[in-house]
Formats: sequence, structure tokens, C-alpha cells
Amino acid sequence: MSVRTEPAIKIAPKSIRRSWLLGGLLIIWVAVAQILQGKATLELAVPENSKFTAWAGEVADSIRDNRNDGLAFKYFFNPIREFVDGFVNIIREFIAIPNGSSSIPVLGWLGVISLIGFVVFAVSNVRMAFAAVALTFACGALGLWTDSMDTLAMTFAAVILSLAIGIPVGIWAGLSDRVLKVVTPILDLAQILPTLVYLAPLALFFLIGPASATIATMVYSIPIAVRLTAFGIRGVPTSPVEAGTSMGTTKRQLLRKVQLPMSSRTIIMGINQTVMAALSFVVIAALIGAPGLGKPVIDALIIRNVGDGFVAGIAVVLIAIMLDRSTSAAITKKDTFVPPSEADRKRRKLALITAGIAAIVGIVLSRQMAWAAFFPKQIDIGSQVANASDSAVTWVTENMELLTAGLSKAVTVGVLNPLESILANSPWYLTIAMITLISLILGGIRSAIVSATLLIAVVATGLWYDTMITFTQTIVATMLTMLVGVVLGVWIGRSVRAERALRPILDAGQTLPAFVYLIPMLGFFGPSRFTAIATGILYSIPIVVKIVGQGIREVPVNMVEAATSTGSTKWQLITKVQLPAAKKSLLLATNQGLIFVLAVVVIGGLVGGGGLGYLVLLGSSKPELQGKGLVAGFCILLLGVMIDRIAQYMVARNSAPKH
Amino acid sequence: MVRNKRVGAKASVLAAAAALLLTACGGAGVDAEASAAPSGDAALAECGSYAIAMHAWVGYTASAQVITEVAKANGCDISQVTLAEAGVTYDAMESGSVDLVVEDWGGGRWQEWADRGALVEVGDNGNVGIIGMYVPQWMADKYPDITDSANLNKYAELFVTDESKGKGAWYEGPPGYTTIGEKLVSANNLNFTVLPQGTEAALIDVFTKAAENETPAIGYWWTPQNFLAKVPMARVNFPTNDWTDAAEASGLTDYPELPLIKLATPKAMDANDAFTKIVKNFKWTNDDQNAVAADIESGTDPAVAAQKWIDANADTVAGWLK
Repeated sequence: MSVRTEPAIKIAPKSIRRSWLLGGLLIIWVAVAQILQGKATLELAVPENSKFTAWAGEVADSIRDNRNDGLAFKYFFNPIREFVDGFVNIIREFIAIPNGSSSIPVLGWLGVISLIGFVVFAVSNVRMAFAAVALTFACGALGLWTDSMDTLAMTFAAVILSLAIGIPVGIWAGLSDRVLKVVTPILDLAQILPTLVYLAPLALFFLIGPASATIATMVYSIPIAVRLTAFGIRGVPTSPVEAGTSMGTTKRQLLRKVQLPMSSRTIIMGINQTVMAALSFVVIAALIGAPGLGKPVIDALIIRNVGDGFVAGIAVVLIAIMLDRSTSAAITKKDTFVPPSEADRKRRKLALITAGIAAIVGIVLSRQMAWAAFFPKQIDIGSQVANASDSAVTWVTENMELLTAGLSKAVTVGVLNPLESILANSPWYLTIAMITLISLILGGIRSAIVSATLLIAVVATGLWYDTMITFTQTIVATMLTMLVGVVLGVWIGRSVRAERALRPILDAGQTLPAFVYLIPMLGFFGPSRFTAIATGILYSIPIVVKIVGQGIREVPVNMVEAATSTGSTKWQLITKVQLPAAKKSLLLATNQGLIFVLAVVVIGGLVGGGGLGYLVLLGSSKPELQGKGLVAGFCILLLGVMIDRIAQYMVARNSAPKH
Repeated sequence: MVRNKRVGAKASVLAAAAALLLTACGGAGVDAEASAAPSGDAALAECGSYAIAMHAWVGYTASAQVITEVAKANGCDISQVTLAEAGVTYDAMESGSVDLVVEDWGGGRWQEWADRGALVEVGDNGNVGIIGMYVPQWMADKYPDITDSANLNKYAELFVTDESKGKGAWYEGPPGYTTIGEKLVSANNLNFTVLPQGTEAALIDVFTKAAENETPAIGYWWTPQNFLAKVPMARVNFPTNDWTDAAEASGLTDYPELPLIKLATPKAMDANDAFTKIVKNFKWTNDDQNAVAADIESGTDPAVAAQKWIDANADTVAGWLK
């Protein structure tokens, strides 16, 4: 063993014992599963309901029946819906849809672009302003001006409402420990819950349309705003707060003059993340009637038009980059502590006024002239881009079939089927017992109790078999994600040039809606469980690569130098020093990978994944199975919570001081 | 202090912008140019604004687009809302965000919503749906008796894939479509595993590859669908049943022929304007639909494809408006 050469890393004897224990357990599991294959799997035929899902269906029905005259609807849900609908429409009429009796929105395309340029210039700098203008114009050039504006409007509406709730709650949670304690589990839950899962229930309460879509987006983005705001307030150093208190400032003054200004950077970062979260909802929201770029993506999925879907996906990415970079630029601007000189301020003021006048000219023109109101149809490269991506996909499908089919077969036969036979096709009690034991070894007694409780809850719902099918695919997808993600993560963690090259691809990968690559995936691999897995991998790789890269970069320089000076090779350096030292990041990356894979489980159901994802889809379109769909969503949540908890207990254990 | 001043400067510029914007609101010069759009027939000028649900398949798009174009030409304000079929759409009709479904395959699932007064059945649209299990044409040529369900087990081995657990792979229809795969398999003792498919796209992929590479496949398909014209397939016949007897029908049954119907909101049906008339009277054949759908699929803009059919069938269209 070359462990001796790296004195920095010690392997505790306890963890060696642990891995032996795990190995033995796995062997027993495989053996027993082989003997009891096919027994007590609790498989429930697709068209059938369990007692629990039938009951859930009845509840959903009674909610529907009450919708018109139930008191909760009259005085709670309906007013909320009307308010949100109204709010969204005001913003849409401003930039996206005809305003009142007019045939254009309040602002035509030139007006919108001028306004965006001006606002971005005001909050950041001139380079950013031009970039924002160019990116927005590019959306129009793709032939998707109106859809892009609808998306922008929906995003703004959701972000404004999210911040209106998220920032005050975040401040409160930042100031009071008790509030933070109450709020944290709710935030965890909202972030783990796969987005497609709460669409159907939300539509039950808020009906189909922009209101439901906006509220669904808010469920997803409010937690981020709350978390980062609370984090910012808590991060304010104690000395200024104490100084303020000793000078007799009131709590209110303290908040306004000290805590808020000092945490403004984190809060703006929260705004940035809230915007990105809201934007990632675009396509999913289209499933419940939201206007915008999601619609062409879904349409393209339906008629298998790869190109058009891709073009709409690019527009989403462009808007994401535009919003991300402008808000990030606002953060860095906050960082300059050197006060501008008198001349600088004068120049800036003059520039602002000039830009303002230009913006106003643009706005007025866009209301008076047809060419400035309707985006010019001559500038439309959408079909060229669509054709190019169409032919690229066709080429891969036709020429790489050996590779794609081979990969799919290797994973299905080599990993997926064996794992499925252990998890899903062996008795439920065996699976529960083994998972509980494993989480006992990995995360301790509390994580074991949590796993056992959640798994028994799954059995009680009657969807055990489908849950295990989904669990199997989630595990395989996460394993493959980690395999690729760690390699790429180490690469970008070690090389600044690699980081720079991959960064835009990773950013695009994170914002490109998963629906866009479903059809190409189908073309490559055909409808199968592997296709669902591949979709999950594509979706979760960017976040894993980023976290691993960050972890590698944060490995103390002296550790790396020590290893290099003792003559370790590059390979030894990576495997014996950098990866072990980045263990915490690796665990976090695995956890996030799993959660991201789970988030697209429902999408996997579209391409042959079966399991819970398919049941969610089934439930939303077959009324007699709506209860089953709702419960399937709930089971995805249970899986997510279980995985998340085990991982958190594991991290807590591993970062505890060694003894 | 410095910062405050700057914010002040910014605010004043923004305020000035807002003020100018408001004055600009008064004269919307663009409208004068844009309102030169065609104004409707005088008799039917009062047509309101309606939203048509747009569903997952090209045939549906063809029907919906033709209705859209005819209604627009008669002064109606039409928007199209893309939605998943069945439950989601019925909910949307209840909430008033969608007014019309031009082709419902739900087989009566909407009854619950109709009972609550959320939607009305408006009768057949003239298209008849024939659902079934299909094999690629090359299989029917090579194994002529495969189209009789009694012989399927003989060939089950051909259909085995990594996905199908040692039995034949049975590609089931997407959620939201009427499917009875499990029943067919168990009632006929077929040695097949029903594989749930999430989208029509997945089935198209399966059948396209089966035809191109001459690989075996059996899956759910239906007409009217212009896909059959491009990729020829043969329908497997199952023992038919008397569908008037619900108890019997759950047995060895095949899919019944399904007259496709229109669903609309009471609002649309009570308005008594051009839209009401079009919705009530719209009726065309499977061939009509396939013709428009084929154009759309080959890349023609749906609006253009619909208009082409409307121009060629002016008499039929005139009949809808009576």
C-alpha cells in the first residue's frame, strides 16, 4: 500500500471495518434475493388502484366537486388565483400580449430591448448592457420573440411574488432561531419535491392556467430566496451589530442600517438564484397552461420535431444567460469599495442620462412605428438552426447506432436488470431490512430509523414495486453520473483552462430544458429504461461537475505541494490526496446528483422509464387513476427525503472530529 | 452619502422615463396600421374570443387548425392553448381557460365534468378512431398468420428485448390514450409483457426502426393517423366482443371503433355566434384530416395547410356556417 507515502491521509480502522461489513451484507442480500426471486414483490397492475390510491382519488374528486362552492375556495384559493392571474397579465400586457384594445403590448420589441439595455446598464455596466441587448435580440432572431417575452413576463411575475414573500420570511428567519428551525424542514421538502409532482395537485386548487404555473414556480423558487436571505443576515459579523446595539439603536434601525446593507450581496445572489430557479420552470409550467417558450418545446416533443424544440430550448438558455449575467454583474458591482471620484460620478450620470434618453426614444418608437413594434420577420434564423440540429441528430442516430445500442445493452443487462432483480423483484421485507441495515452502517441509528419508516410508508401506499423500479433507475443513473461527473470535475478542478472551456457548456446544460433532448434520446436509444436513465444523467451532470470541481479547487495548496514534493505521480496525487480531501464535496455531489436525477424521474416516464414517473403521467391524464398518480408523486418525495437524509447523516458523521 | 446621491440620480431618470412612457401611451400609432386586419362578415360580426385546446397529435392539430382559420375568417378571436389531453383539459374547460376540444378519444371520461356543467358534448366530428395492436408490414408478409391474436404466442420469442423480462415486448399506448393492454394480454393468455410508453413519439420511434431495420415489434396504434401512410403496418385481430354488454366486453375483447367527438364549454355553446355554429356543424372525414395532417407533418405551417384545405372545400366549410 502506498498509503505510507501520504502522511496527510489516514484511513480510520473503523471505516475499513465498515466497508467489510457492507460487502458481506451485499453478498448475503444478493444470495437471499436470488432464492426468493419474484416472491412478495407487491406488484400492482398499471390499471389497478390500491386501497390507498383509490382513497386518494376520492379525495381529489371531492376537492373538484367543492371547487365552486366550498368556503376554502371562495375565500382563499379563488382570490389568490385571481390576484396572481391579474398580476401576471399586467406584466404580460406590458411586454408580451396585446394590451387592452391595442394590437401590441405596451412596449414593442424595440421598446423592450431599450428598456432592458437601460436597466442592465443602470445596475451594472455598459458591456453587460450590450450583451443583454444582444441576447434578447437573438431570441427574436430565432423567430420566438413573443414566446420569449411571455417567458420573461412569467419569470418576472414569479420572481417578484417570490421575493415579496421570500425576503421578509428570510429576514425573519435570519433574526430568529426559532423561525429558522420551523422554516428549514419546509424548505427542504419544497426543494426535494420533484416539480412535475405538485403540478396536478396545484391545478386541483388553482385550476389550469398562468396562476397555477406561477404558483408552482413560486413553490420552487421561494425556498431559495428565504435561504439565501437568512444566510446573508446571519453572516453579518457580530461586532457591527453589537456596536449598534451598544449605541442604543432600535431593532428596526439595526436591521435597516446595519444588517440589511451588510448582507445585500448575499441577498442579491438570492435574487439571482431565484430568477434562475423560476426560469428552469418554463417548460414544466407549459404543461399546465403557462404561455411562453415551454409551449414550442412541448409541441416539438409531440410531433417529434427535434429542431424546433431545440431552437426554443436555445432561447431559454439565452434568456437564462442574460438574466444570470446581469444579476451577477450587479453583485460584483456592489463589491467595489473604492468610492468613485467626482469626475467619474459626473461621467456616469451623463452616461445614464444619455442611455435613459435612448431608451425613451426606443420605447416611443416601439409604440408609434410598426417596424419597431413587431419583431421583423425577415430576421429569422430559427429554421436554419432547427434544420442543422435535426440533421446532427439524424446523423448520430444513423451512424452511431452500434455505439448507442451497445452502451444501452451493456448498462441494461449488466447493471440495471441485476439491480432491479435485487431491489424490486425480491420480497419487500428483504429490501427494507437490507436498506435499513445499510443506512445504519453508513449513517447511524437515526438514518436507519428514517429509512425504515419511509420505506414502510411506501409499502402502505401500495406502490412499493413501482417505487423500487424508480429507485433502481435512480441509483444506476446516479452511479453513472458520478462516474462521468468526477472525471470532468477533477479535470476542471485542476485546470483553469478546462474550467473556462466547460463552464458555458455546463451553464447551458443546467438551463436547457430536459424536454428538449428527449426526442434525440429516443432516437439514440429507443424507448427503454436506459433512455430514462440517460435523461437523468444529462440533467444532473452539470451540477455534479461543478460541485466536484469546486471541491478539488478548495483542497489546501500545502497538501498538494507536500504530495508533489514526495514524488507522487499525477494519478497518485488525484486518487490519494485530492479526491480524499474533497470527500465532503463528493458526498454533497452524490446527494445533489440523486436529487437531480429524481427531479426528472417523471420525464423519464415519457421515454419508457415506467415506474413512478409513468404513474404520475398516467394519473394526470386518466381520471380514474388520478389518485394513483398523486400517490406516485408522494412516493417520489419519500424516496427523495430518504436519500437526502441518509446522505446528510453520512456527511455529519464523516465531518465529525475523528477520535 | 455618495451612494444615496447616485441612487437619487437613477431614480430621477427612471421617473422621467415613466412619465414619457405614460404620455406615449396616449397615441398608439401602431394600432392604426395593424387594425387593417380583415373584419368579419357583417351578420356574424359579434363573434367572441375563444381558446381551442391543442393536443398531442398531428391529426388533432389539423382539425383544430381548420376550425381556427374558419372562425378567424368569421371575425372570432381565437387563441390556441397546448395542453395534455383528458383530465387536465377538462379541468381547463371548467376553469374557463379552454373552450373547445375538437377530437376527444376519452371514451366518456369527461362525463363527470359534464355532470357538473363544466362542458357539453357537441356530437361526432366525423372522424372514427380505430385503435389496435399493430405489427410492421414486413412481419405480416413473412408470417401471414401473425395478424390473428391466437397465433401471437407462437411468435412471442421474436419480440423479446432486454426490457421485457423474457417475454415478448408489448409496446402499450401513452397515458391518456384508451388502453387495455393488460386485459388483452391476460384474457388471451399471451406470453407478453406490457411495456408502458410515455409518449406517441416513443411508439413512432419503435415502428420506424422496426420498418427500417426489419426488427420485430408489436405496439399500440390507431387511425386516423397519417403515420400509417409512411410506415405501413398491419393490425392484429383479437376476438371481437359485443360492446353493448359492458360485463362481456371486459373479456377477450378487441378495441372498439370509437366515433370521435367534440367537447365545448357552455359559454361557447350558448353564445350563439359564428363560433357556436362552426363548433356545432364541424364534421369531416378521416381522409380530410389525413390530407391536412400529411401537409403539416411534411413541414407546412399548420395555418397554411388548413387554409389550403379550406380553399379546396369551400362548400363543406360554407355548410358549417349555416
